[in-house]
Amino acid sequence: MTDIPVPKTFFTPNILVRYSPLLILALSWEAASRLHLVSSLALPPLTDVAQAWVELLQSGELVSNGLSSLYRAGAGLALAIVVGGALGIFMASSRTVNAMLGPLVELFYPMPKSALIPVTALWLGFGDGSKILLIFLGCMLPVTIGAFNGARGSDQHLTWSARSMGAGRLRMTWDVVVPSALPELLNGIRTALALSFILLVSSELIVARQGFGYLIGYLGANGSYEAMFAVVLTVAFVGFLADRVYQALVKRALRWRE
Amino acid sequence: MSDPAQIIVEDVCHHYRPAVGREVLALESVSLQVREREFLALLGPSGCGKSTLLYLIGGFLPIKTGKILVDGKPVAGPGPDRGIVFQNFALFPWKTVRKNVLYGLERQPLRREERETRAQNFIDLVGLTGFEQSYPSQLSGGMKQRVAIARTLAIDPRMLLMDEPFGALDAQTRSLMQSELLAIWEKTRKTVIFVTHDVHEAVYLAERVAVMTARPGRIKTIVDTQFDKADPDVHRTKVFVEKVDEVWNLVRDEAIKALEKRPP
Amino acid sequence: MARVTDAMRCLGWGAVRLAPIVVLLTAWEMFARSGAVTPFMLPALSTVVERIYDDALGGELAINVGVTLYRALTGFAIAAVGGVVLGAAMARSAAARWFFDPIISVGFPMPKIAFLPIIILWLGLYDVSKITMVVLDAIFPVVTATIAGIASVEKELLWSARNMGATDRELLWQILLPAALPQIITGLQVALPIALIVVVVTEMQMGGYGLGGAMMQASRFANSRGVFAGIVEIAVVGYALVAAMAALRRRLLVWHQEGQGGIG
Repeated sequence: MTDIPVPKTFFTPNILVRYSPLLILALSWEAASRLHLVSSLALPPLTDVAQAWVELLQSGELVSNGLSSLYRAGAGLALAIVVGGALGIFMASSRTVNAMLGPLVELFYPMPKSALIPVTALWLGFGDGSKILLIFLGCMLPVTIGAFNGARGSDQHLTWSARSMGAGRLRMTWDVVVPSALPELLNGIRTALALSFILLVSSELIVARQGFGYLIGYLGANGSYEAMFAVVLTVAFVGFLADRVYQALVKRALRWRE
Repeated sequence: MSDPAQIIVEDVCHHYRPAVGREVLALESVSLQVREREFLALLGPSGCGKSTLLYLIGGFLPIKTGKILVDGKPVAGPGPDRGIVFQNFALFPWKTVRKNVLYGLERQPLRREERETRAQNFIDLVGLTGFEQSYPSQLSGGMKQRVAIARTLAIDPRMLLMDEPFGALDAQTRSLMQSELLAIWEKTRKTVIFVTHDVHEAVYLAERVAVMTARPGRIKTIVDTQFDKADPDVHRTKVFVEKVDEVWNLVRDEAIKALEKRPP
Repeated sequence: MARVTDAMRCLGWGAVRLAPIVVLLTAWEMFARSGAVTPFMLPALSTVVERIYDDALGGELAINVGVTLYRALTGFAIAAVGGVVLGAAMARSAAARWFFDPIISVGFPMPKIAFLPIIILWLGLYDVSKITMVVLDAIFPVVTATIAGIASVEKELLWSARNMGATDRELLWQILLPAALPQIITGLQVALPIALIVVVVTEMQMGGYGLGGAMMQASRFANSRGVFAGIVEIAVVGYALVAAMAALRRRLLVWHQEGQGGIG
């Protein structure tokens, strides 16, 4: 006699058990490569990749390219958050602004932001500027939409209370609208964060002379596949880490909600 | 009593493990017998386990201690012999009213025309003629519950298990639905086990009211509430008021206990 | 008479929505012609449109759009089916859940585009690698949406279906998946733009036919008209796909609409 299988939560108290499939994959990788079940050219053994990673670290190549990438992503994202967030809140607070800009947001949202890679490269070349501009333009919309939805949802009663206590428009925006808009806004920023990594890596694979993506391409072209794998995994992991750290920070910031 | 009871619950206990905290004893040594064609109410305060008992009879929860026999056979899982009606209607939102009612019928060895006719009959019986093509999202609460009742009746179950079916409705709709249910029951005469926390509802609808204790639930007493309910003003008759008083006195202590209990 | 004013109201509403876009396009044209920027930096809208028109006549537009769409939609379709299957498997099987959960939760926030050189190493420079990259990126939102959708199906729906005799397999296909459909479609709506973004990047990286390849080509030759033409073309394609998906959602989820207005 069975109970209907209703999915339980994914939380297992034991971290090791939870992530063990990844360990299994890593072991399978090593085994498959060493035992030549797959071409060790196409899939270099994990230990060789690890070794190449250490070498890259020691030579400074990994760090210098990494910092370059992170600088670009960080700058672009920061601009996107400030401008996009302000835009979203502005749109939420004024019906005319919303009527004017809303259709534009709707129009640009479905456009694949990667389409901006050639044009930013055209304008600003292969350096930092084009990447920062790309990430700024590409990541702005998710933040705008998050800020907009968050500000829209702001409790009417809260704003009325603030107004009746003499808060001016600007003060009220800062004290009432922004905090209640925070959850949606932070969610929009999370999307923008992930998107910034995608745009960063994409543009560096194609139009760059520095950075993670460039390094990957360069190593691949050189035939240094172990090193290439090492950098790919590094980038992937950095992206994953950034998201986790961000979520932890958000949890802290939203503690009052619970 | 000449025939053996249709439903026999013997010494049933039930534990459940909430998301946080230790295991909770929901039911303690519950024994109950329900006769065929009887309308029995399970009445008790929140958390007394009355819904749990219903789900055990329905076969939705595993019976680990004690036994439950329906028509002489132990309960081994859900089945169309024990039709269930839930408080939140549980209608399939992507199906029309007609398709909802047809769902159970499709699982039975009937010819197509038979199914369609049966479905239509029950839709008419609950007073929803004309709404066959509506979706649940277009219906009011009372109408949704009527669809749920029609759907369950259509599979011709041996008995009806009703879990606070009118709990989600507003007071006026609730009282209308109560009289309608009674009318439908008098016409179809199925065995009904009706879970509720509303004393008036239990006394009005049922022939016997089984009062349960606060958690862990046991059957405290069974009160006979069989009398003439044809009078539309029955709620004001002396018999009714006295019965309600009698039952309420039994429940009140349990309700207070339930309020005082801290969560495990 | 009412029909006419309704139509006029619709047109008026459409005009209001369209106005900012028209303003933007006009501003583009005027700004480009004003001499404040070089034609290289910002080619005039009219020249860009001319270029698109030439491409259309020459057949290049059709080929590029066709090839890009083919790759994006094939990858999307595989991701959609695979994602739902994997999500359903994970929702139903603890083993599948244990194995795939860390892969999904770790893989989701990774910029999977970083794996493109590896995919090219393994699968070559043709459509297969592009489509594989799309699947790799687009499958994640579908899986998580499917799991969330299935997990949020209220247990009473499942119990009702079981009550009416549904088997495990029927439960999955007839109840769980339709009930989870709104969330699954939301996942698909997230996956589709991802598919398009990724396909464009792969085309830029590998060159050849396709909107991405064409834009990269134009960029290499410092042909800013071509680059802008590509942006407009992709923007239109992206918009059309998202709009089509939204229309599909409305059709499939016609029963889901809240605010359809209750009756009675």
